[in-house]
Amino acid sequence: MLDKLARWSRIKSPWILHLNSGACNACDIEIVAALTPRFDVERFGILLKATPRHADVIIATGPVTRQIKDRIIRIYEQTPDPKFVIAVGACAMAGCVYRGAYNVMGGLDQVIPVNMYVPGCPARPDAIIDGVVKLLGKL
Amino acid sequence: MNFQIPIGPQHPALKEPISLRMTVEGEVITDADIRLGYNHRGLEKLAEDKTWVQNIYLTERICGICSHSHATCYVQGVEKLMEVMPPKRGLYIRYLVSELERVHSHLLWLGVAGHEAGFDSFFMYTWRDREIVMDLLEMISGNRVHYAINAIGGVRRDLDEGQKAKILEGIAMLRKRSEYYFEIGANEPSFVARIAGVGMLSKEQAVALCAVGPVARASDVARDVRKEDPYAVYDELEWEVSTADSCDVLGRVVVRVKELLQSYNMIEQMIKGLPDGEIVAKAPRRPKPGEALSRYEAPRGENTHYIKSNGTEKPERLKVRAPTLANYPATVVMLRKGFIADIPLIFAAIDPCICCAERAVTLVDGRSGEESIVRMSDLRRRALARPANALLKGKAVWPF
Amino acid sequence: MSDTDIVESLKRDLGAKALEVANPDRRRIFLKIAPADLVPAVTRLRDSYDCAYLATISGVDKGEVFEILYHFASPVASITVRTEIPRTEPRLASICAVIPGAILYEREIQEMFGITVEGIPDARRLNLPDDWPDHQYPLRKDWKFVRPTEVIPGGQS
Repeated sequence: MLDKLARWSRIKSPWILHLNSGACNACDIEIVAALTPRFDVERFGILLKATPRHADVIIATGPVTRQIKDRIIRIYEQTPDPKFVIAVGACAMAGCVYRGAYNVMGGLDQVIPVNMYVPGCPARPDAIIDGVVKLLGKL
Repeated sequence: MNFQIPIGPQHPALKEPISLRMTVEGEVITDADIRLGYNHRGLEKLAEDKTWVQNIYLTERICGICSHSHATCYVQGVEKLMEVMPPKRGLYIRYLVSELERVHSHLLWLGVAGHEAGFDSFFMYTWRDREIVMDLLEMISGNRVHYAINAIGGVRRDLDEGQKAKILEGIAMLRKRSEYYFEIGANEPSFVARIAGVGMLSKEQAVALCAVGPVARASDVARDVRKEDPYAVYDELEWEVSTADSCDVLGRVVVRVKELLQSYNMIEQMIKGLPDGEIVAKAPRRPKPGEALSRYEAPRGENTHYIKSNGTEKPERLKVRAPTLANYPATVVMLRKGFIADIPLIFAAIDPCICCAERAVTLVDGRSGEESIVRMSDLRRRALARPANALLKGKAVWPF
Repeated sequence: MSDTDIVESLKRDLGAKALEVANPDRRRIFLKIAPADLVPAVTRLRDSYDCAYLATISGVDKGEVFEILYHFASPVASITVRTEIPRTEPRLASICAVIPGAILYEREIQEMFGITVEGIPDARRLNLPDDWPDHQYPLRKDWKFVRPTEVIPGGQS
């Protein structure tokens, strides 16, 4: 019973942690723009939280640089189960233009397991919202 | 008690990972240290393996907010190496997009400054208006960010009459809204008192530490690359350099607000005076061996690219120096003698584009060497709870 | 002052130290000096030519020498000072005493090319990660990076 309640609340109102692993900031601005009155993601119950301990969904951008790799793994482990990871933007998917650079790992899935990929450079806020909704639909 | 506090690489508000370590005594910061490198992607090495045209798309993605500024700075340098002069219409369109980008960046920054000072409705208002500019940019170039409108020798897409009319309409609406906000700012004493006197940087310090952009202009150093080294279009338009002399965060807000209004004027002048003709000139595949130094005034300050070619299809060396990096030594000086609660505000005031440089704030305990990670949101909460500082700030006036 | 005035004045002031002065484009002046004359030349530029602003320091790997360029800007022109140091003995004097804002750029040159800047107030790494191995200097031409093979989740590679 409690399980069903928890699952319903998670689907109806996911709390999100925004993680930037060395990106150019365009995808991050689009994620924050999703909160602004034009796209207004808060009406769906999605809340941008500051801490991994409260988050259901991790939205991550950026090709992973060597310096930040350990911190990402630590944050992933700090997030309580069940957790989902969305990789936003071409950088988080496979490195975008930075493939082959000496300081870049190549994509988020080289470091933590990813559940949903949202392509684009940068991904539009509508696409990001679509990604989150599709992920929740699969739960 | 000396504490050193780290504000870790992940912090919630916008942003890129950056690491700052500050030594504090009580609430006052005695020293600050910045750890860069989280965002270092090895771009200069990568640029040596890509052709001249591929590098336009690579340099665009150095930063998401000022993407056109990096691409334009690069293309300016390459055009000098290849001895190609773009046609007038192409130049006008290119710098029109530059000014639109400046508007979008300053509106974004105003929203962030409002958010850091606790004024969240201001944040929502300015970002809603920013959407008008994003629509215009999408209409001109096809994408909201990373416009890719530059080509070596000109621009890729043209403007027609309908688009021009839409741009003028959008700018008129923005101008009306901006004037309304500035009135709010002027009549909101708690906002002005919060930001006055914070993050002081005197004129001599700004000159000695090579600060750039609105940070330097708010300390009365009237340097602007568009006036000193006018490339193409800027010496044909009528505009002035915006400065302020209060040397603090209030001055920086005032400078950016003035620049917004100047940009609206410039955009209108450019649209009304758009010359006819071609938009792109043919560029050779390989430039002759040589070097070029290209400077550009990005919304955050001066952007410098140094490009060297050895006659092949790939550059020999591309050196990029983004404006936020130049403001770092000045930031360290600004943080000293400040309060912990002012950290988010001082950072936001230099308009950090961390993709150009990266940081997190760690406060390290000066005595015991222990590290504690303080989130930016905690700092912000502490900042808002701190009672407003007495007489000086109570009397601070919006000088605009 | 126009560009030609600046070029003449530099030749007069620095005399034999100015190995080469070029003016390839409007408002761009390139001055070549020996590494030993670096600090006096920079001091002269700061005091008499209004060049207190250093834009950046670039390094180019030319095989047997490293060419280091200091890009200064005054309100009327951009003056770039270049100097060459041998690859086998890469040492330079620091200009932080003259231009305090140069510290970050000198740190970057140190870690990217392996140059030792003498007298630098703070010699830590700037951009490279903490676990970067020593003696690996990414911007040298002979330093190549081999990408490790990627593991694609889902099996196909």
